[in-house]
Amino acid sequence: MTLSTIFLYQIFKQHLNLLNNEQLHFGQLNLPEVLMVTLFGKHIRLFRPHTIWIRRIVQWVFFLLIASIAVSHTLAESGMEIPILSGASIHAVCPFGGVETLYTFATSGLFVRKIHDSSLVLAGIVLLLSILFGPVFCGWVCPLGTVQEWVGKLGRKIFKRRYNHFVPVKVDRILRFARYGILIWVLYVTAKSGTLVFEAYDPYFALFNFWSTEVVWSAIAILIATLTLSVFVERPWCKYACPYGAVLGITNLFRVFSIKRSELTCKADGACSIMCPMNIQVDTQTVIRDHQCISCLECTSEAICPVAKTVVFTSGGVK
Amino acid sequence: MMLTSKPLAVLVFVILFGGIFFSSAMGWWATESTKEPAAFTEGEFAGLANPADIRGSYTFGDIANSFEVSPDLLAQAFGVTQDNPSEFAVNELEAIYLESGFEIGTASVRLFVAYYTGLPFDTTGQEIYMPTSATDILLAKGNLSPEQIAYLEVYTVGVNPTTLIEPPSLESTPIPVDSSIIEEYTIKGKTVFGDLITWGVPQATIEQIIGAPMPDPAMKIKDYATANGLEFETLKTSLQAEVDKVQP
Repeated sequence: MTLSTIFLYQIFKQHLNLLNNEQLHFGQLNLPEVLMVTLFGKHIRLFRPHTIWIRRIVQWVFFLLIASIAVSHTLAESGMEIPILSGASIHAVCPFGGVETLYTFATSGLFVRKIHDSSLVLAGIVLLLSILFGPVFCGWVCPLGTVQEWVGKLGRKIFKRRYNHFVPVKVDRILRFARYGILIWVLYVTAKSGTLVFEAYDPYFALFNFWSTEVVWSAIAILIATLTLSVFVERPWCKYACPYGAVLGITNLFRVFSIKRSELTCKADGACSIMCPMNIQVDTQTVIRDHQCISCLECTSEAICPVAKTVVFTSGGVK
Repeated sequence: MMLTSKPLAVLVFVILFGGIFFSSAMGWWATESTKEPAAFTEGEFAGLANPADIRGSYTFGDIANSFEVSPDLLAQAFGVTQDNPSEFAVNELEAIYLESGFEIGTASVRLFVAYYTGLPFDTTGQEIYMPTSATDILLAKGNLSPEQIAYLEVYTVGVNPTTLIEPPSLESTPIPVDSSIIEEYTIKGKTVFGDLITWGVPQATIEQIIGAPMPDPAMKIKDYATANGLEFETLKTSLQAEVDKVQP
């Protein structure tokens, strides 16, 4: 194989010292230190240096918590609920329920069916989190997003660099706004009917209730479609359909802490853009205000970016 | 101020669980219904329970605790025959009316309670179906507005709970006739007008036979005959003929 150009960046602890754009020859490096090579003008990532491992732990914690609550709720119907978790339903711990019931609550002081005070409280807390840090709920907490990421690992192994790049850019750009249409529809039908109409199409509800008779086939079908698509596209539900993601995504426009890129130190290797699960072109922007950002921090200098303090999560400016 | 992943993770936990703890301390955190509907906050009904907040998890007994509607009346209205109607959960209605093709469930109970008690209930844009037995009880009470009567005329459906009347299987072997089933549709001294409605006899037919508006559904036919100087046996024969037409 002929290599036309090779640019290698050191990683792990050393990458903090690469502010001077060191370019090393291939033969000088141990393979574990190799991050990216450029072949025929194209950047190719050989393997991943850092991940935001603590995010994975947080995702696991919330997945197990919600799964336990769902199981406890089922057991509670037979009088065997898990003591600490009580018999709360999945709806009671879903902040989107708080958004769905907002109109009914504002106009009548009531909640739509199956929604309780806790949903409204959680909606408020998640809104606060999002105003501060962007949609961290999507990137760190939401179990449906977590499951999509887990399935996505299979797709990444199968398709390698083609993974998450199957949808043509023009089509993708339009589809990204579909979730706002879904959000408007959900809010309208919920306000009109006073019931959780979306439950019949909600893959999150299906994921944690697939064993229950409460789940209808349409929700199961959408869950299966979501997980299948996750083999090809990272977080397809989040990108194209999630109405709650649409709500939280708006906070990207005015959030306190944002992903910011320093043009002075940036090597323009495109690593941040390649790593972004939501396909945001981080390397062409100085402040990420994209409505799809989920604050996963995978693009930052703490993870994929090889240059220290170049892509950062900050409330202030960046050098 | 720059944040890395670890402080962010801590902040997510602190804000999320701290918020839950705070709301719990303030009494805002509730993951389950209290079985008590929210009350009207303004107007002439302020302080009274709002029928619109009746949940599917409520039993007829829970409803009776908040509204002046007895579990027996609710059972009669919705054709529930279980021994203790106080323990019947509202969300079980949809299942027993499943095969009727009409959604008769929590919304139907809300509407019934509102109309029966005279409490406000907004039906705008809603299609809430009501079984004939429930509508007849409401009409017999006589406190409905013309608009409410018009709504019921549109959305009253002649359906029966499928758990009470199951269609016989065509392929099944003949089953010996159970005399108790026949007796179920036989007018006796304790039979009330509501039973006729539940069995499927139209209210108009009953009114035609007795020559008067429909009495209280809870009134025994025998008592009605005595009170109005009618021969019970004659009245019974006429009504039984109509019952036999709808319950062969």
